Amino acid sequence: MTTDIDPIRFEVVRNSLTSATEEMAATIRRAAYSTNIKTRADFSCCFLDRELRVVAQSFAQPIHLGNLSNLVPNAVRQYGADRLVDGDMIIVNDPYLANIHLNDITVFAPVVIDGALIGYLANLAHHVDVGGGAPASMGVTREIFQEGVRIPPVRIVAGGEVVDDVFRLILAQIRSTRETTGDLRAQIAANITGRRRIADLVGAIGREELERYIEELIAYTRRRTRHEVAQLPRGEYVADTTLDSDGYGGPPVRLKVTIRVDDDGVLFDFTGCDPQRAAPVNSTYGPTYSACAYALKALIDPDVPVNSGFYEFVRVIAPKGTVVHALPPAPAVGAGEVNMRLVDLIFRALADALPDRVPAAAKGIMCHAGFGGIDPRTGEYYCVLETLAGGYGGRALLDGPDAVQPHTQNTENAPIEETEAGYPIRIARYELVPDSEGAGRNRGGLGLRRQYLFPDHAVSFSVLADRDLTGAWGIFGGEAGRRARYVVNPGPDERVLDSKETIQLKPGDLVSYETPGGGGYGPPDERDPTLVLRDARDGKVSLERARAAYGVVIDPAGWTVDLPATTALRAGRAAARTSAS
Amino acid sequence: MSRPRGEGARPPRYRLGVDIGGTFTDAVLVDEETGETRIAKLPTTPGDPSIGFMNVTRRLVTGGGVDPRDVATIVHGTTVATNAVIEGNVARTAFVTTEGFRDMLEIARQIRPSLYDLQFQKPVPLVPRQRCFEVTERLNATGEVLIPLDEASVLATAAAIRALDVESVAICLLHSYINPAHEHRVAELLREALPGVAVSASADVAPEFREYFRASTAVVNAAIQPVVQRYLEGVSRRVAEDGYDAALLVMQSGGGVMSFEQAARRPVFMIESGPAAGVMATVDLADRLAIGDVISFDMGGTTAKVGLIRGGVPSITKDFEVGGVATPGIGGVARGSGYPIRTPVIELVEIGAGGGSIAWLDSGGILRVGPRSAGAEPGPACYQRGGTEPTVSDANLVLGRLSPARFLGGEMALDPDLARKAIEDRCAALLGHDVVRTANSIVEIANVAMANALRLVSVNRGHDPRDFALVSFGGAGPLHANRLAAMLGIPRVIIPPAPGAFSALGLLTTDLKHDLTRTIRLRSDGVAAERLEAAFAEMTAHGMAELARELAPTDATEVRRYAEMRYAGQSHELNIPLAPGPIVASTVARLVADFHQAHQLAYGFHVLTEPTMIMNIRTSVIGRIRRPGGAPPEGARPGPGTRLGPGTVAPAVGVVDARPYGQRPVYFAEAGGFVEAGLFERHSLVAGSRIAGPAIVEQHDSTCVVHPGYRALAGVHGELIIEAVA
Repeated sequence: MTTDIDPIRFEVVRNSLTSATEEMAATIRRAAYSTNIKTRADFSCCFLDRELRVVAQSFAQPIHLGNLSNLVPNAVRQYGADRLVDGDMIIVNDPYLANIHLNDITVFAPVVIDGALIGYLANLAHHVDVGGGAPASMGVTREIFQEGVRIPPVRIVAGGEVVDDVFRLILAQIRSTRETTGDLRAQIAANITGRRRIADLVGAIGREELERYIEELIAYTRRRTRHEVAQLPRGEYVADTTLDSDGYGGPPVRLKVTIRVDDDGVLFDFTGCDPQRAAPVNSTYGPTYSACAYALKALIDPDVPVNSGFYEFVRVIAPKGTVVHALPPAPAVGAGEVNMRLVDLIFRALADALPDRVPAAAKGIMCHAGFGGIDPRTGEYYCVLETLAGGYGGRALLDGPDAVQPHTQNTENAPIEETEAGYPIRIARYELVPDSEGAGRNRGGLGLRRQYLFPDHAVSFSVLADRDLTGAWGIFGGEAGRRARYVVNPGPDERVLDSKETIQLKPGDLVSYETPGGGGYGPPDERDPTLVLRDARDGKVSLERARAAYGVVIDPAGWTVDLPATTALRAGRAAARTSAS
Repeated sequence: MSRPRGEGARPPRYRLGVDIGGTFTDAVLVDEETGETRIAKLPTTPGDPSIGFMNVTRRLVTGGGVDPRDVATIVHGTTVATNAVIEGNVARTAFVTTEGFRDMLEIARQIRPSLYDLQFQKPVPLVPRQRCFEVTERLNATGEVLIPLDEASVLATAAAIRALDVESVAICLLHSYINPAHEHRVAELLREALPGVAVSASADVAPEFREYFRASTAVVNAAIQPVVQRYLEGVSRRVAEDGYDAALLVMQSGGGVMSFEQAARRPVFMIESGPAAGVMATVDLADRLAIGDVISFDMGGTTAKVGLIRGGVPSITKDFEVGGVATPGIGGVARGSGYPIRTPVIELVEIGAGGGSIAWLDSGGILRVGPRSAGAEPGPACYQRGGTEPTVSDANLVLGRLSPARFLGGEMALDPDLARKAIEDRCAALLGHDVVRTANSIVEIANVAMANALRLVSVNRGHDPRDFALVSFGGAGPLHANRLAAMLGIPRVIIPPAPGAFSALGLLTTDLKHDLTRTIRLRSDGVAAERLEAAFAEMTAHGMAELARELAPTDATEVRRYAEMRYAGQSHELNIPLAPGPIVASTVARLVADFHQAHQLAYGFHVLTEPTMIMNIRTSVIGRIRRPGGAPPEGARPGPGTRLGPGTVAPAVGVVDARPYGQRPVYFAEAGGFVEAGLFERHSLVAGSRIAGPAIVEQHDSTCVVHPGYRALAGVHGELIIEAVA
C-alpha cells in the first residue's frame, strides 16, 4: 500500500461500495415476485467504474461471477456510452453479449452525479419466463429464436420514467406477465437504491478521491490475487469429458480443458471442445468464463474481494463457434449444464496437482424442471422453474454432502407449502435417494427425488439436464455416483424421459426426478466401517450395498459391524483386484 | 407455589434480575420502595451455570442484608438454550412427518453456507435420519384432507420410537399451519404411547407456512426442551433451598418475559434471551426520557450488536438461525449455516468488532480490524498477559482514551508501552505510519464497520439515523458512541448509568409477553372484517389465559396486533400494526393503505393497483409489570417519530459545570492531534452536571469519550447525554 493511501478512507470506500450492492440485493430479494428470485436468490448486483471495471459485487450464485463484468461493458459499447444520460436505464438479455441465457435479464444505469459519470450500477435476475417454445423458457431448442424474447441493449427507463412502449413490447412476449412486471420493478428500484448510496459517498469524499480509492481497491485486489496465485503449483493440466446427450440424438458433447498456471495467472484453454450445436448444449462466453472464475476463486483465500483486480488473473481461451463460446443463432438455454460440467472438469484436471483441495465430481448439472399451464383456479397462465440439488463430490478428508447445490449454483428449494399454495400442483415426494452415492473412502453425496403431480390440468413440462447416461466420476479410486432418472408416472407404465425433453402432460400425470449422486474419493474398501454402519443405520446405504460396494458386513440385529467377516471380505476383494491387474 | 406468610407480613419489595453471559454473570437488585438499584458481577460457571446464578444472587441479596422472602420476582436471562444447540448438548430427539418427506431436515434448503469453500459442510441435522419417521396422511394447501390420517402408521411409528429410547419428539406434517387436526392427533397418540417423552407439534410452536422452517423450529424446541427443563428445575430448586418464594421468569428472544413453566414447554422462545435484555433496557430508558426512536449499540470485548427501536417497540425478525456462522466482513449470519427458527427474535446486527478485536495487515498490505479477537486470554497487549497482537483497546489506550491506572476502577493496570509496541511491530512499521496515526486508524476502521451496522438497521430499513438517538452500553460502547453518532449525523448519544450491567437491568423492565401467530393467506379484499376480528379475539383470549397462568404481578395488560402483508406474488412480508379497537371494514382498508406506505419506505416503491395479501396475523399479549422506579407516566410511551426536545433534558434541575479531577492529553483527529481533555468520575456527577468536550468520563465498568465540539449533560435518571455544542 502506498503511504498516501489513508487506511481509514480505504475502509470507508470499500465498505460503502460493497454495501451499495448489498442494499441493491436486499431490495430485489424482498420486492421481487417470482419464486426463482425471491426465494431461490437467482440474481446478482454490481457496481462498475467509469472504465467499466467491476469494483463491487453482491450475489448468491457464482455462475454470475464474471457475468455482469463481461455483459455490461459489451452492452454499453453496443449501445454507445455517449448516448446514455442521467436518469436512463438499459435492459438487456442477449446471451451473445456474455449473458447466460434469455431468462437472465439485466437492468443497468449510468451513475451521473453533478454532470460527471461515476460508473454504472447493474443487476441481473433470472425471470421465470421469457416466452419461447416452452413454459419457463427452458425448452429443447435448435436456435435462439425459439427460446423467447431476445432483448438487445435498449432503454427501459429514460429521464427517470419507465419507457412504457418497450415495457409493453417485452411483456407481450412472455407468459407470466404479473411476476415479470413485479420483478422488473424490483430491478429498477434496486438501481435507485444503489445510486443513493454512491451519491452519499461522492458527497462525502468527492469524485476524484473516490476514483483514486477505486484504483487502490483494484490494485489491492490485484496484489492479493497475485500473492495467492503464486501459491498454486505451476504447470499444465489437462482433462476431458462429455455431456451425455444433446436432446436431438446427436453424439455426446465433448468438453476439454487445458489449464496453465504461471506468473500471469491461470489460463483456461478450451481448445478441443466440440463445435456449437443446433441443440441446447451450448454456453456463450459468459458462463464459460464464470466456471473458470469460480474455480480460481475457490482455490484462493476467500477473503480476497471480487473485482477487476481479481478477474485480470482469469484468462480464458474459448474458441468462437464452439459449445463453450457459442455464436448466433445457436441455442443458449442449456448454458448452465455446460457451465456446471466445466467446473467438475477443471477440478478433475487439477486433482493430481491439488489432491487435498479438489472434490470428486458433483451432480454436474443445473437440473432444470420447468413447466406451466393454465391455473384452473384463476384461469391465468402460470410458470414454474426449479433447479434440483444432487450429491456433492467426496473430498480428501470429508464425505460429499447429500442433496446440495454445488459450485456455481446455490439456489434454495421452494418450500412445498409455498409451491402448493401458489400453483395448482402437488409435490408428491421430496426425499433422498438411498444408495445413489458414489462409493469411496469418502463417499459422494446422495441425490434426491422430487415428484410433481398435476392433479387437475394439462401442462407442458421441460426437463433440461444431463447425467442420465453417465454418473458423476469418482477420483483416486472412488466410484461414480448413480445416474439421474427423469420419469413420467413411475411404475409398470412409466415413460423414461430424455434429459432434454419437452412433453405435454395430461391431468393426473406425475413427473419424478432422481438427481445424480456425487462421486467418491479414494477406494471404497478403505472407508471406515463405522461410517458405513452409520450410513446403513440411517438408511442412506443398504446392507447389500454396504457389502457389495464397501466390503463391510453389518449385523442389523444389533447394528454392529461384523469385523472378522468384513476383514475377510475386504482381503478377498483385494486379492481379486491384484490377480485381475 | 406460594407459601402462607405470617400475619401482617409486608409484601415483598425487591425484584432481582440475573443475566448469565459467556464470561460474567450479572445481577441487579431493585428495591421497589426506594428505587435503589444494586448490581453485582461474578464469573460465569460454564459447567453448571446455576452455580454462578446462586453465587451472584447470594452476594447481592443475602450478602446485602436482604431477606430472600422479600424478593417478589426473579427474572433470568440465559444462553442455556443457545449453548445447548451450539455445543450439541441436545436431547435424543425423533422427528415425525408426512409420508414422502422424511428427509425434510437432511435436505433443508439444499444450499451451502459458503459459496467458495470446497470443504464446506451442511449443518448436521439435530435429528439423524434413523430417528426420522413418516406417517400416512396428506392435506392440501387449503387444509382439506387428501389422505386421512392412518392411525396404525402412527402407532407403528410410536413403537419404533420407543425402541430408540428418545427423550423428545418433534412433529411437522405438511400444511398443519392451516389445519392442525392431524398433527394434534399424532401428538395425542404419541403422548399416550410414549409416557415421559416430550412432544413438540409444529402447529403449536410456530404455526406458519414453509414446512422446513416450521419443522426446524419444532425440532429445535424438542431437542433443547429436556435440557432447558432440567436447568430451570435446577435453578428453581436452588432458589427454593435458599428460601426464596419469588415468581420465576425468563427473558424471551422477542423481548418479553415468561414463566419458567412456559419456558420449559417452549424453550425455543428463549434462544436469544441474553441479547434481548440489552435492547429491552434501552426501551425502558428511552421511555423514561420520552424518546420513541432509538438505536441500541452494545459493544463488548469481541462483538458489537446494534438494534433499532421505533416508537418504543424494538424491531423483530423471524429470520433467525440458531448456531449460525457469522459471515466474514460486514456482518450478519451466513444463510444456511445454522438451524432456522421462526419465533420472534429482536433483530440485532452483530459484527466482530469489540475492544479485543485484533488489528492486522492482510496480504494486500491493508490494515484490518477483527473479526479475530484476543478474547479474555491473553487479551489485548496492554493487559500484560502475554498478548502481542494489537487490539482496539490497545489503540484506545495509545490515544489516551483509556486510563492506564483507572481501568476497571484501578483493579487492572494497563501498560501503554506494550500497546504501543504491539501496534508498532505488527502494523505501523509495515504501513510506514507512526504509532499514533496507526492507533487512530485502528479505532476508525472499527468505527467504519460499526457505522455500517448502524446503517444496516436504519438506512437499509428506510429510516434516517438523524431521527434517532443512540443508546450506548457494554464495556466498550461509550468509548466509540460519540464518534459513531457524528459519522451518521445522529444528534444525541445516551449513556445509561451502569453501561456494563445495563443488560441485566433490562430483565427487570420487561413486560410479560405472549406472542401468537396464525397463517391467514388471503387477499386483503377477500378478508371479512368479522373473520379477522374472530381470529384476533381467539388469539387474544388464548394469550390472556396464558398470562393468567404466569403467577407474576402485572399492573395492566395490552394487546398489540399485526398483519404480515405483501403484494400478491411476493414472498417477503412486511409487518403492519393494527390500530386498537374493533375491526371493521375500514380497518382492512387502513391496513392496506399502511402496507403501501410501508412498502414505499422499505423498497422505494408501491403499487396501489396491485392486490395485497394478508399472510399471517400476529398478536402480542402483554402484561405490564411494575418497573424499578415506578412506571413511566401514563400515556408517556411515545409514538414513532417522537424526539427528545431540547427542553426535556434534566428538567427542573440547575445545570452546573462538573469539576474535572484532572486532565491528560487525548488524541482527536478532528483537533489535529493530542489535546488536553478533562477527566471526570461518573459517580461524582449529579443531575444537571455538564461536561465540555474534549473529556473522558470514567467509571468502574466503562469509559466514555466526549469529543471536541460536544458536551455531556447528566440527566435525572442517571443517564449521560452527549450532544453537539450548538
